[in-house]
Amino acid sequence: MNNRTWHLFLYIFLVVLMLFSLIYTVSIGATDLPFEEVYEVLIDHVFHSDARLNAGDFEMSHFKIIWQIRLPRTLFALFVGAGLSLCGAAMQALVLNPIADPYVLGVSSGASAGAAIALLAPIAFLEGQHQTTAFAFIGAMCSAFAVYILAKRAGGGKLQPVTLLLSGTAVNAVMSAITSYLVFKARSPEGIAAVYNWQMGAISAAQWRTLSIPAVIVTLGLVVFTVMGSRFNMIMMGDDDAAAMGLRVRLFRSVMFVVCSIVVGSLVSITGIIGFVGLVVPHVVRLFSRTSDNKVIMPMSALFGASYIMWADAFARSAHGAAELPLGIVTSFIGAPFFMYLMIKNGYGGSKG
Amino acid sequence: MKLSFEGVEVKLGGREILTGATMQSHEGKMVGIIGANGSGKSTLVKTVFGIVHYHGGNILLDGKNIRSFSPKELASRIGYVGQDQSVAFDFSVRDVVGMGLFARKNVKNGKALVNEALESLGIERFADRSIQKLSGGERKMAFIARALVQGSDMFIMDEPTNHLDIHHQLFVMDYLKNCGKTTLIVIHDLRLAAHYCDYLYMLADGKVYAEGAPIDVLTQENVEHVFRIGGYAGKTKKGVLDFYIFEEESEGDIHKHTN
Repeated sequence: MNNRTWHLFLYIFLVVLMLFSLIYTVSIGATDLPFEEVYEVLIDHVFHSDARLNAGDFEMSHFKIIWQIRLPRTLFALFVGAGLSLCGAAMQALVLNPIADPYVLGVSSGASAGAAIALLAPIAFLEGQHQTTAFAFIGAMCSAFAVYILAKRAGGGKLQPVTLLLSGTAVNAVMSAITSYLVFKARSPEGIAAVYNWQMGAISAAQWRTLSIPAVIVTLGLVVFTVMGSRFNMIMMGDDDAAAMGLRVRLFRSVMFVVCSIVVGSLVSITGIIGFVGLVVPHVVRLFSRTSDNKVIMPMSALFGASYIMWADAFARSAHGAAELPLGIVTSFIGAPFFMYLMIKNGYGGSKG
Repeated sequence: MKLSFEGVEVKLGGREILTGATMQSHEGKMVGIIGANGSGKSTLVKTVFGIVHYHGGNILLDGKNIRSFSPKELASRIGYVGQDQSVAFDFSVRDVVGMGLFARKNVKNGKALVNEALESLGIERFADRSIQKLSGGERKMAFIARALVQGSDMFIMDEPTNHLDIHHQLFVMDYLKNCGKTTLIVIHDLRLAAHYCDYLYMLADGKVYAEGAPIDVLTQENVEHVFRIGGYAGKTKKGVLDFYIFEEESEGDIHKHTN
């Protein structure tokens, strides 16, 4: 089978997998519902304006679980998975490191610090959860900005892979220290627990009305990164080669860095830290698609990442009975060993060629 | 198409690498840049693409400041293959060669252009293999094919024969010599330089120390000054230009080939 046919097959498979996962994982949770019922309820609600529900074919409580709780949550999982995976693929290209993940930007630790301020400071600007999200987003953007400026300074005006990685590490350290300090100074055990919980990453807070912003941002990210696919390919060959092939390397890296920060920031500020998704998914996709071509890797990563997180979240909410497992723990348990495997298999300690 | 460097100065990390290098490409000819390690050969060609910035002097392409061209315009005029061959990601050779298409406007027959380039370098047999799994020499050939796909009239190559076995060294040099493009190559191998280049620039202390036809540049005095060895270019019995180095203790009557 040539690559083009294989890719077409993979696209079809991934789209079907995503649609199936979307409906199937809605049936999974503390209250298990049959797959057929979920399917019928959704069809009834979307296409027949609740005709059968009103006729009493389904229980109202089931409808509420499906439509008001699980579906927005599952859709949110879809966008979180797609967004983190996309940004993982993009960051790996931008820092020229196949084992980078979107959090090398410092976005996650910045978001944590922001969330900690919101959760622990005795001030309220916005109602409850919105304050945490807003502060986390501001924190994410601040730390991404700090990484950007620092990397540029250290690289003599250029945004270079190595300085970008190092700046990310440095800013991460500062942001983590801020979070730890806030936790240390905090008086209320509830507040501390809230910060801790937030950091473990969860998407249980999803609702229809909070879904639109991440959905729009992730979709835009998908379009931008896919359209820029061939440029991402060029930058993967190294800065010198990319420049000689006609790419405006600095401008491209700067703009894509900003896009990445916004996408990851908008997700992480709502979900907390969901680790290893952006690292693992593009890798798996490269392995199966047998290419590194970003025109293919970007959309496939989004599709596969979407399914992956829908299932991971279904597992998180069902594995421990009524008490939900934080999603971040699930993804780390899956992702970290995979990361170790990749490290050993590819021998990253050796030469790069 | 003419590329000229006029008194180009480059400082890197406070160190003066180039202190006023002046040279020109020669239409349809192969111009070689030679010099000891660290003499600034690679640095000089990198200034063309803005990979390295120059602080003084001028670089002109057809009389226009090189920085007035966009990177893409430049790539459509000059194909470049650098020394660095490491690739962090797993692309097929075909993908890598296809990246050269970015420099072109309105590509309709991209696939054909890529195949053409692969064939003319005789590397179509590993077109679908991973670039990471190729030998250094095979990789070099792939990068040259990529530069070819850019469709430029000029080539700048930084040590094109590096990593190649002797057969492929000659193949690549013959190829570059006969491809009809204006070529600027950085080259360490003085035998190949003597044999193939139409004109040589010898760099020392950040500027051009000597220039001219290989036989006039690779003189005993110049070679001794720049490389601190005894050697010179001379004609073989068949009238072909070659480069000879002396045995250590001797005074030039016995000579031996490099390599």
